[in-house]
Amino acid sequence: MRQLLLITDGCSNVGMNPVVAAAHAKAEGITVNVIGVVERGESISAAEVEIEEIARAGGGMSRLVNTRQLSQTVQMMTRKTVVTTIQQAVNKELRQVFGAESVEALPPERRGEVVRVIDELGESSPLKVALLIDTSASMRPKLQAVEEAIRDLVLSLQSRSGRSEIAVFHFPDSENGEGCVCDLDWTDNIAGVKRILPRLAMRGTTPTGPAMMQVIDFFRQGDYGRTIRGETDGMTGEDVV
Amino acid sequence: MKTSSELRLAPGTVITGKWNRGRYRVERLLGEGANGKVYLVEQNRRLYAMKVGGDAVDLQSEINVLRSLASRRRRAEPYLMAVDDCVREDGSEYPFYVMRYVRGSAVHEYLQREGADWFPLVGYHLLGKLAELHEAGYVFGDLKRENVLVGDYGRVELVDFGGATALGKSVRQFTELYDRGYWNAGSRTAEGTYDLFSYAVLCLHLFEGRRLLQLAQTALPQNRSPADLIRLTDGHPALKPFAGWLARALRGEFASAREGAAAWQLIMYGGGVKMNRKRTPAGWAAGLFACTMLALAAAIVWLMTEGVLPTGLS
Repeated sequence: MRQLLLITDGCSNVGMNPVVAAAHAKAEGITVNVIGVVERGESISAAEVEIEEIARAGGGMSRLVNTRQLSQTVQMMTRKTVVTTIQQAVNKELRQVFGAESVEALPPERRGEVVRVIDELGESSPLKVALLIDTSASMRPKLQAVEEAIRDLVLSLQSRSGRSEIAVFHFPDSENGEGCVCDLDWTDNIAGVKRILPRLAMRGTTPTGPAMMQVIDFFRQGDYGRTIRGETDGMTGEDVV
Repeated sequence: MKTSSELRLAPGTVITGKWNRGRYRVERLLGEGANGKVYLVEQNRRLYAMKVGGDAVDLQSEINVLRSLASRRRRAEPYLMAVDDCVREDGSEYPFYVMRYVRGSAVHEYLQREGADWFPLVGYHLLGKLAELHEAGYVFGDLKRENVLVGDYGRVELVDFGGATALGKSVRQFTELYDRGYWNAGSRTAEGTYDLFSYAVLCLHLFEGRRLLQLAQTALPQNRSPADLIRLTDGHPALKPFAGWLARALRGEFASAREGAAAWQLIMYGGGVKMNRKRTPAGWAAGLFACTMLALAAAIVWLMTEGVLPTGLS
């Protein structure tokens, strides 16, 4: 199970349309969820539409929350997506075995066993979640809450019985401007990591689409970091290698 | 994704089950959980609680827990009455289940109305419920004020099993304030100690609500710790006798809810009755009795050897 969670607060303004990038992710079997972080009084109505469309194209869900709700939302979304992903796989089986389209189409007395299997798989299947964090200027005051949410997510994932890993990326790449940077390679433990996201001054662009494409690529190359990439790819892992 | 918030059932609505054709008349909304809304419904002049969910899988997980609980205690009256789907006019379908209606109010409302004198007993009953659940192989998970109903004479019923999780799995649903992970006090793995931690926070919430919420809001996430919670345990007179107990629960020191309940009970009655007259300590009495018997035996032997007693007696 593979998930990409985008945390942002504005519209993309550079490069490829992020909705297209999300569709690419879905084609690669990666579910895309999006959280829009808004503070009181902040209006991001233009971004709201984009956030929703990215999630729809990526087969995931989207939510607008404030920083206080962030941890719980990240945790809930990840869990919910796991269940949905398993459910979709199980629905395929249902079609073949029972001729039923979904769990809902089964009579209630036959749902119990199917749901027990869904719960079991949801708990034990390996899971990879890539978090892609928008660190453009308006996000800066919210980054503390984002870090807390990441730590909280790791705590939740550690109690799963299946192997669970996260990777963290931020965008824009301050040197390159056109992509994202990997802050944390696949890991299941961040106890030793003092600071996940950099506190540097960020440039103003929001290249959401290109950044997403790079994360999809990262998923495909399980062993990124050992591979030497051309400069044009832009993904210069700082902590990696 | 369908969510139950889209569905509102007005009082008077009649719901007919799609599969089993059971008919229920909606009386009113009782409450709302993470997986759906709970309505008071009537069927054949009897009242039941009906939980209508937005997602069949989520609701079924809950039903699975209730089923496995029911199979463990056969003597108890059935809790789960029916499971079915309802179809709305627009064709949308919502899964629901019907359960026994428990009359009562949320624990904080009950104690406010009936007085804090009830607290130790209500707490003890709640610990008993948790122990029962743990012994059935589940952790409640989302323990909070709203999910604890108290009826007449402090009887306790847990409602909303949306967070109930098989032991050893990751807790399905929780509320941050009551979550030991949130307080940097442990994992989110379903263990008896997880519920006991939430239980202790619940006690604090009942009597030190303002200070508890303030602590949650002001402390930096990395600085939140059970030690801060422990400092809240002996401020209020209702909590003070249980301060030591609460500290142990917050530190995860009770091996099980059963053990916690036993320790709680000791405190409830542990003041002891003051006796007007000192009781004779049992050991001393036994010693006295033995001495008396020895003296008697010696006397008999002496009398026999002196020939005072007829030999026939021996």
